[in-house]
Amino acid sequence: MTSASGQAGQATGSQQTIAALQNALAAEQAASYGYGVVGARLPQGSAAQGTAGADWVTHMRARDELTAMISARGGQPAPAAVAYQLPGPVKTAAEAAALAALLEDRVAQAYLDIVALPESGLRSFGARQVRAAAVRAAAWRGSTQAFPGLPASSLRS
Amino acid sequence: MADGSASADRVMTAGLSRRAMLAASAAALPLFVTGCKGIQALGTPPPPPADVRTLQTAISAEEAMVARYAAALKLLAPASVQYRDLAGETAAYASARAVHAEHVAHLAQLRSRLVEPPGAKPAAHPPPLSPSSGPSPAAGASGRDAVLGELAVAEQAASDRLIGGLDGLPPALAQLFASIAASEATHVEYLQAARRGR
Repeated sequence: MTSASGQAGQATGSQQTIAALQNALAAEQAASYGYGVVGARLPQGSAAQGTAGADWVTHMRARDELTAMISARGGQPAPAAVAYQLPGPVKTAAEAAALAALLEDRVAQAYLDIVALPESGLRSFGARQVRAAAVRAAAWRGSTQAFPGLPASSLRS
Repeated sequence: MADGSASADRVMTAGLSRRAMLAASAAALPLFVTGCKGIQALGTPPPPPADVRTLQTAISAEEAMVARYAAALKLLAPASVQYRDLAGETAAYASARAVHAEHVAHLAQLRSRLVEPPGAKPAAHPPPLSPSSGPSPAAGASGRDAVLGELAVAEQAASDRLIGGLDGLPPALAQLFASIAASEATHVEYLQAARRGR
């Protein structure tokens, strides 16, 4: 037996969960698109291009996993956009690496929304994805960040 | 009219005073008895909630990490006579110093989330480790590698510990833990790159 208010609470929680998963899915879809651009701008056959290819596959797998997670919760996974607006011109290998780092930053930020959910398994999943994205971002950037994915506004001075 | 009203006020005031006195006496009795038994009669204060304990543990771990890096920086300092590979020394020192700064930032953010009640013992969580509890000194490039290797192992363990402690935390604190865990994981590869002399 579940009370009406309990059911309403569960529905709200479920909506929050699906919204957070959709947000992460959107970030993964954007990353999947963006890595296509990154790979095309890196020297053919270079180690960096190999890394970009591996990262691209990682994001497509994550996209598929999130799609399945949303469906399993009764949600309708949002489709990817046909094309995405790049933050700036990507003509050189350095600009491609900067784009890859930015994509990973956005992925990390999106997964932090999942960390904020109360469900234990999802929290852990989100945290591991934040960590993986941060490691990839640091590799592309060549430096680390103190608070990957966290907007500056959420830090206390 | 005015006199009658003033008189009624006096009566009410007197009545309230008597009630207040009785109440105060009744309330003071246990305190008086407690005073005879000593402060322990008040009982031990309740333990802090689980999320506060988790935060205190994270603060202690971060303090230990800052102390570990402080010790490592002394060993990795380019002026140190223990090392002779100047380029390697500089890169390793710069890497460790950059990571140390990020740990200091982690610690500040974690501490900012801890709200302890007034009068609480400040030593509710263990004091930071002394620099001597950090990596042990060893000479040469192999010593530098050992120091960086020990730091990398500690970073990975710290990252895993934070991710393992997310249950039951308020959402914003869970996000901070996850972000710090991610940062510490990036330090692992960064330190390994420094070991390779990149």
